[in-house]
Amino acid sequence: MAAADLNSIRATIEGRLATELASSPAIPVVFHNMPYEPTPNSSFVQCLTTFGANEYLSQGLTTNSRNRIVGVVVFNIFSAAGVGPGANYVIGKRIRDLYNRVNVSGVFFDAPTGPEALASPAPEGYFQTQVRVTFESIEEL
Amino acid sequence: MATIRGESGSVQFETGSGSLAAVVGTRSWSLTTTKETLDTSVHGNTFRQFVGSMISGSGTVELVYDPDATGQAAFIEDVIKAGDTADASFELFTTGSSAGSDSVAFGGIITDMEISSTVGELVVASCSFITSGTITSNLE
Repeated sequence: MAAADLNSIRATIEGRLATELASSPAIPVVFHNMPYEPTPNSSFVQCLTTFGANEYLSQGLTTNSRNRIVGVVVFNIFSAAGVGPGANYVIGKRIRDLYNRVNVSGVFFDAPTGPEALASPAPEGYFQTQVRVTFESIEEL
Repeated sequence: MATIRGESGSVQFETGSGSLAAVVGTRSWSLTTTKETLDTSVHGNTFRQFVGSMISGSGTVELVYDPDATGQAAFIEDVIKAGDTADASFELFTTGSSAGSDSVAFGGIITDMEISSTVGELVVASCSFITSGTITSNLE
């Protein structure tokens, strides 16, 4: 038993997406704190993993105890503007199917929210939707 | 004086064939100790009077179910132990895990086990027990 490795959890989440979007048709993906210059009229995905408020799960202080680590992954899906949402939703479905209620290496993913269309895309010049998936992992001390 | 937070508690248990060991994954425990009384009122008394009599206890332990967690299987399956001779031992700690310190120790029988699985929630098991024999309190 050991304290949770947050980078390991992050790698589980992001690695799953990177593998999926590297397969045909490949879609560029960018993660937190990474530079990216999008190609106009193309599609890409931004994946933002954030850890939230954790909680005690069992008794026992620093030994023989468990905590619940929770977080959310936000997927911003960008596609060409002015051509309808179809291409964007195809990517959204790939992402949704990838995480929907699965348990990967001890990371439990809940039912996804979205894709939700955003009125003000950032960066501008794209059609943007957002998929959000909450997750939890049990830390065993 | 210091207050104690519930998450610092723990439970140790043995079924009668080993030594006390932590039950990993307990979420809460409770113990109610009861002393019966005998009425010693006699003719002439105008106020009823009593003396203390038999002492017993009962309580519950709630666990976040994990089939691989140390001690859980023995604990939640003790209820199906046939011909139980009350040889199980419990020590309930308010904090820490040092034997005889900040704890209540006793022999007992697990009389009830309920396990529940609900969508969106963790699987939780709850066991009820009664004490058998001496209750040793180290809560001072």
